Amino acid sequence: MIKGIPYRWDSHQVSVTTFAVLLLPLTTAAILRGPTMTLPIGVALGLGLMWSFLFSALRKSVFHWHSLISALIFVLLLPAATPVWQFVISLSFGLVFGDLIFGSRGRGFLNAAVVGLAFLLFSFPATPPDTALPQIAIAAALSGLILLALGLISWRVIAGFGICFAALVPISPVSANWQDLQNATVLLGLVFLICDPVAGASTHLGRWLYGALAAALVLLLGQTGVGIGSLSSVVFGALLASIFAPLLDQIAIYDNVRRRMKRQSYEP
Amino acid sequence: MHFDIRRGIWSPIVPAPQDAPFEALTAKTVAMMGDDYPSVVFDLQFKEGDTVRAGQTLCVDRHRPEICFVANAGGRVSQIKLGPRRRLEFLEIAVGGDDSVRFDTDVLRKLLLKSGAWTSFRTRPFGLIPDPIATPDAIFVTATKATPQAPDPLTVIAAETANFEGGAEALLQLTTGPVFICQRMGAALLVPYDRLEIATFSGPYPSGYAGPQVHRLMPVSRQRVVWEIGYQDVMAIGYLLATGQIKTSRVVSVSGATQTKVGTVRLGAKLADVVRDMDHLDADCLRSGSRLTGRKSHYLGRRDLQISTDEKEAFPRPFWHRILDALPAAPNGATLPMEAFERAFPFDILPTPLMRALAIGDVETAERLGCLELVEEDMAVLTQLCPSGCDYGHFLRHTLNLIHSERAG
Repeated sequence: MIKGIPYRWDSHQVSVTTFAVLLLPLTTAAILRGPTMTLPIGVALGLGLMWSFLFSALRKSVFHWHSLISALIFVLLLPAATPVWQFVISLSFGLVFGDLIFGSRGRGFLNAAVVGLAFLLFSFPATPPDTALPQIAIAAALSGLILLALGLISWRVIAGFGICFAALVPISPVSANWQDLQNATVLLGLVFLICDPVAGASTHLGRWLYGALAAALVLLLGQTGVGIGSLSSVVFGALLASIFAPLLDQIAIYDNVRRRMKRQSYEP
Repeated sequence: MHFDIRRGIWSPIVPAPQDAPFEALTAKTVAMMGDDYPSVVFDLQFKEGDTVRAGQTLCVDRHRPEICFVANAGGRVSQIKLGPRRRLEFLEIAVGGDDSVRFDTDVLRKLLLKSGAWTSFRTRPFGLIPDPIATPDAIFVTATKATPQAPDPLTVIAAETANFEGGAEALLQLTTGPVFICQRMGAALLVPYDRLEIATFSGPYPSGYAGPQVHRLMPVSRQRVVWEIGYQDVMAIGYLLATGQIKTSRVVSVSGATQTKVGTVRLGAKLADVVRDMDHLDADCLRSGSRLTGRKSHYLGRRDLQISTDEKEAFPRPFWHRILDALPAAPNGATLPMEAFERAFPFDILPTPLMRALAIGDVETAERLGCLELVEEDMAVLTQLCPSGCDYGHFLRHTLNLIHSERAG
């Protein structure tokens, strides 16, 4: 368990810290892929700024910086050969319908990057597969460790994911192994999509179940020929898991209420 | 019984030096604050300029006129300030004269009601002054140091053991259930007998507050009501029974930027008077209560045993986090369900679902999640940690009032 004193974070501090941590896999990817990353990153930042600004202006509310982070996560997971117009439409859909339309981060129940990527994969099935780069996997793992140490993501989600993945790999029909967990897409998805506190469960028991469910879905969706650790299995696994997260929280609430009822009738 | 409470926030603050006899810190004005008694409508019996004696009834609860609020000092009523909806904000007395009312100590309940000692009880659920005829299922005496800088109950009680024993004995007459003395590890404050029991608690802030203690010993519900009272109020009841006069002073610690001292202060004393010879910023920065939970106030709160005079950081945090202070403060917004809430909230109650239910005003869900077990001070830790900037204590009070009025009506 990660020990430490709980202290207060405000939303700007969370955004800036996540951005700093995200720079780690992002610069790794930029160095490895070279100048091809410049255009997507520029477009993503522009789109993030534009939609955030538009919503804050139309709704006369404050400007939220988190859209930029969602946009960068989107770029990081995006297959390199995606045409720009597909990418612009999907990212816009993700930002607007995954996040901004609910009234900014924390009020929705999905991760904007997940919604955008799901839209991309669903609408343009011919999206070319990406080549996995082990250096990005290392960077993603490192940024996950930093976020974990800062308390910005939950170790219970990661533990639930890891345990369930390890338990299901032996009975998986498509040959899968522990190595799949070292895949860059799986690690990036785990750290930045599945572990997003907004998209995940918000109780201890719920977090364990949510992590396990996400792992089971990633494995299950990987059976369809695209391979475990492919972008579509990770994205749709994360999407379905976060849709079920409130239900998992309800299970935790039910359990808690029942236990407290029992205690209330107990005489010391 | 011993309970080790692990969840909470360990504070690195060094404990205050403790030694009796305590220095008397005098105040020229004292006040009775309306905020100390949620949802009471006060019927004033004096107007500005009148002269009162210590122990004389200043006002009564309009709906339960047996409950009296008495003057903590003799003198002249110098100011009566009404707040929104003409509710009493504070009633200030300019201290002058030692004249004190002598009470008839024959009937305990009547004595407590008449002398204002009744208002030192607080019910759980709802956190209100108990009804004059009610009998609780248990009474909890909070004799745990709330924060490291609070006065040490062991030292304070040791100075007047007889009063504490007398007060505890009186509590036994008010309930048919147990009376729990909740204290830290170490020598027992009292020898347990009959229904009087000792429970020890260890752990970080906020394990010294009554909330987590009641939650572990006897969780309350609509059917089960307990009362809680501070150890110094128990001593005041003992003093009242022995002498027939109210005890107007409390042992309070005053923590400044560089020094902390412990002294006796009149109830409701003006904070600026108390700290005048200490180093402090200015009167607007004074807090009644600890740095962690204290509220900005001009007078000492009814239940507070601490005064903080500086704006030093309340919660410890790692050094690198200060770099982020350069950022502009975030506007109030939505919460982020972080694990920190669970780590700091010492109840078997799910913090994030409860915070959500309270914030949207979902009374039924909040009750199902256990909001009846809490009062405002228990939510302070979540208010501090939540990125949204919401005051969950305020939301909780609103929800509790709704449940209470619905039950009464």
